[in-house]
Amino acid sequence: MTLSTPIISVSSLDEVKSAVTDAMADKSRLEIIASGSKRALGRKCAYDVTLDLSAMTGIIDYQPEELVLTVRAGTPIAEVQTALAEARQMLAFEVPDYSHLLDTANAGTIGGVVATNLSGPRRLTAGAARDYLLGFEAISGRGEAFKSGGKVMKNVTGYDLSKLMTGSFGTLAVMDEITLKTLPRPETSCSLIVQVDDFAAATNKIASLFATPHEPGSAAILPAELARQAGLPLNKDTDKDTDKDTDKDTGKDKKSCVIVVRLEGIDISIADRLANLQRLTGGDRLEATASEALWAKIRDVRLFTAPVRDVWKISCPPAAAASVIDTIKASHDISYFADWAGGLVWMTGGTDTLGTDLRQALAGFGGGFAMLIRDSGTTRQVIPPFQPLPGPMLALHKRVKAAFDPLAVLNAGRMHDGI
Amino acid sequence: MLMPDPDQDVIDRRDAICAALKKIVPAACVIDSQESMRAYDADGLSAYRQLPLAVVLPETVEQIAAVMKWCKAEGVKVVPRGAGTSLSGGALPLADAVLLGLGKFNRILEVDYDNRCVVAQPGVTNLAITHAVQGDGFYYAPDPSSQIACSVGGNVAENSGGVHCLKYGLTTNNLLGIEMVTMDGEILRLGGKHLDAGDYDLMGVMTGSEGLLGVVSEVTLRILQKPATQRALLVGFEDTGSAGTAVGDVIAAGIIPAGMEMMDGLAINAAEDFANAGYPRGAAALIIVELDGPEAEVDALIGRVETIMRSAGASSIKISQSEEERNLFWAGRKSAFPAVGRISPDYLCMDGTIPRRRLPDMMVRMASLSQKYGLRVANVFHAGDGNLHPLILFDANQPGELERAEDFGADILRSCVEMGGVLTGEHGVGVEKRDLMNIQFTEEDLKQQQRLKCAFDADHLLNPGKVFPHLHRCAELGRLHVHKGKMPHPDLPRF
Ligand SMILES: Cc1cc2nc3c(=O)[nH]c(=O)nc-3n(C[C@H](O)[C@H](O)[C@H](O)COP(=O)(O)OP(=O)(O)OC[C@H]3O[C@@H](n4cnc5c(N)ncnc54)[C@H](O)[C@@H]3O)c2cc1C
Repeated sequence: MTLSTPIISVSSLDEVKSAVTDAMADKSRLEIIASGSKRALGRKCAYDVTLDLSAMTGIIDYQPEELVLTVRAGTPIAEVQTALAEARQMLAFEVPDYSHLLDTANAGTIGGVVATNLSGPRRLTAGAARDYLLGFEAISGRGEAFKSGGKVMKNVTGYDLSKLMTGSFGTLAVMDEITLKTLPRPETSCSLIVQVDDFAAATNKIASLFATPHEPGSAAILPAELARQAGLPLNKDTDKDTDKDTDKDTGKDKKSCVIVVRLEGIDISIADRLANLQRLTGGDRLEATASEALWAKIRDVRLFTAPVRDVWKISCPPAAAASVIDTIKASHDISYFADWAGGLVWMTGGTDTLGTDLRQALAGFGGGFAMLIRDSGTTRQVIPPFQPLPGPMLALHKRVKAAFDPLAVLNAGRMHDGI
Repeated sequence: MLMPDPDQDVIDRRDAICAALKKIVPAACVIDSQESMRAYDADGLSAYRQLPLAVVLPETVEQIAAVMKWCKAEGVKVVPRGAGTSLSGGALPLADAVLLGLGKFNRILEVDYDNRCVVAQPGVTNLAITHAVQGDGFYYAPDPSSQIACSVGGNVAENSGGVHCLKYGLTTNNLLGIEMVTMDGEILRLGGKHLDAGDYDLMGVMTGSEGLLGVVSEVTLRILQKPATQRALLVGFEDTGSAGTAVGDVIAAGIIPAGMEMMDGLAINAAEDFANAGYPRGAAALIIVELDGPEAEVDALIGRVETIMRSAGASSIKISQSEEERNLFWAGRKSAFPAVGRISPDYLCMDGTIPRRRLPDMMVRMASLSQKYGLRVANVFHAGDGNLHPLILFDANQPGELERAEDFGADILRSCVEMGGVLTGEHGVGVEKRDLMNIQFTEEDLKQQQRLKCAFDADHLLNPGKVFPHLHRCAELGRLHVHKGKMPHPDLPRF
């Protein structure tokens, strides 16, 4: 967007509708934003008009004992979280705040979170944003109002368009009312910190913990250096080499990685599960406050030391993460850590070819997805921030886009050329 | 229930179509005699029967793709079928359509404990997934009551749930990846062993699409470690209102039980006659609450739930002291359908969802509808998530009773929508609820859903006549009216 792009601020579905129909008639392209906190995600495109949804705010209905919240899309995430906290509830997918990565002032709006399908550490066991959207009302790129889903927890009536809308980056429709499933907040939490030889040992160890009934909830893997910087007390046999754990040969008997496993629930349950897990792994307990602070850093990607360069988000089979990282480390100077038991890897550094190399490595190790989240320069002009789709999938995506937004008036080109 | 007029031209070409299919798949995989096809003439909604044009049972994904491609080129419709347990007629054959059965896709391809998933062919039964991993302490969470018979491909197509989906989610929340074949004969992979991708969530859209968007040819399912302990409470209430309130109180106290089921008086007694589970016969409502997890946690939460139930006015409470006793608590609930089958020649199983707090209103409404139609209704609910399963008792041999039962059912579903709920919580729309879709959705809502269908199947060849009350041609659905202020523009066809 350039500064001269006109902004239309809307506060109702009808106003969205007229803005979209006008854009259709004018053949103009709308950029859909609310707080603008995630504007830096995706392809950089030129738009004729910015459609600002930040006035479409407010909680419409919240029934804690029904576990259902209906809210307008432009409502700040902080406002939603305050209301939920008052009822001792939460959005279980754990909304991350990437403002630190994206150089923005706040975590954005609930609509933005849904549109980008962003989830935090609890995603591993509790599901993603897409698992919590129960229904919505929107204006399609055809300028027509439609709804899908409902305001109840269990519903299979018609296609599940909520799934489609989540993560579609505003390229299909402009949402107003969205209904989310909420869950009770865990009464307390703590973490288990275990030092292991290397990344592969970490994913193995975590897999063995998930093969017990002691219900680990979240599991991250931090290279020792990042763990130390995050303030974790590490044992003395830890890798003292401050040049990261690049030295694989000598790294054998050093503990170069730290596993952080989060347990949530009622006190008595956590104590019991922690004791059982400790029996299997050793390790130390991190109490609730310190644990929460650490997981917030993991969730919001605040573990890398400044100045942060490009940051890539990699979704892969957990057991493949070590191979992907090793492959990349062979040709790039990177810093990284993992969440989701290894299934989510955050990576920064490397050269211009990092994204391309990552995608190639993923393809060789069981598939996955690499997305550019922070572009510190002009990377997204040369490497597609969204992983390119194979031909037939791209064609299907284009047909789906056309089914909702045939003239490509909504966030056109944000995800892929033409989508 | 009116199905779209069969295409006589296709029916006339039946012999040639069967001959062509026998060249695509081994001849033995095409079933075309009337007699053998009879085994496929209905699904679990057995009031509706129809012989298909032919049954094809492919053995490889390439064969599925070739069948689809050929049918698309020849304008022949296709109805996918898993195990045929759908309760909404989703797998009901059409006279002018090939029934594509996935029965030969019955292998588990991979058990991957490192990534905590199972890769399986779509014809594998739901329970077989758990059987494959339970030796190592794992299980597959979604557990529809039909789990010994229904297929995982059918589970994806219906987004099936079970008594444990309150805590563990429906199929959609436990599915990591699928391979699918489009009507064009393209083989696509969506998702995989990783969690989120960054493209459109087409796997999410395929889940619950009732065989209208593509054929699921492989699934990757998330498996979980079995909880250390499971215990249940069996709680009786003298009125359904208090029982409904109690359910809400448990959730409001921050407890999400593994399952929270409710039955009304008629269901309690039918189940007790059948299973001798020790249910309180005099109670107006029965709640089963199951808690699972570490022993210490379960014991603590059982105590909290017991307190909540007492303050809500429970008339009886039993807490399972052994696995045997817990299974006995469930035995009655799990046999509710056959138990009701014993007290009535026939029954219709409905499946609406309401906001939980409307449960007492719904009970009152159902009682008055029961009077109006002169038919009894037994209720089993997935109470935790507001999903109702009223069983309407009737006798199909009495002229007009089936129709009366169907009208009764439709009224219940209308009431669900009126109370802020939806037509179906887990059984799907199929043909059963097709003509009620207009109650929940506007014409524009439905058209937008059909536009999505057009992106997958532009000629409406895949499972037509299901889910949507009116079939609009894709060209018509794609038409746009572009205008701004008073300046009209010509209609632009977009498809
Ligand atoms: C006694 C009984 C109890 C039940 N209990 C429950 C319950 O607790 N919870 C619940 O959710 N459901 C329940 N059901 C309903 C039913 O079992 C589920 O909907 C099940 O998922 C259907 O699976 P199926 O393999 O039998 O599919 P089918 O009946 O063969 O087909 C169902 C639909 O899926 C489509 N389909 C099937 N396979 C594929 C495929 N591979 N690709 C694309 N489309 C496909 C068909 O076209 C059809 O539209 C119950 C049914 C019975 C008879």
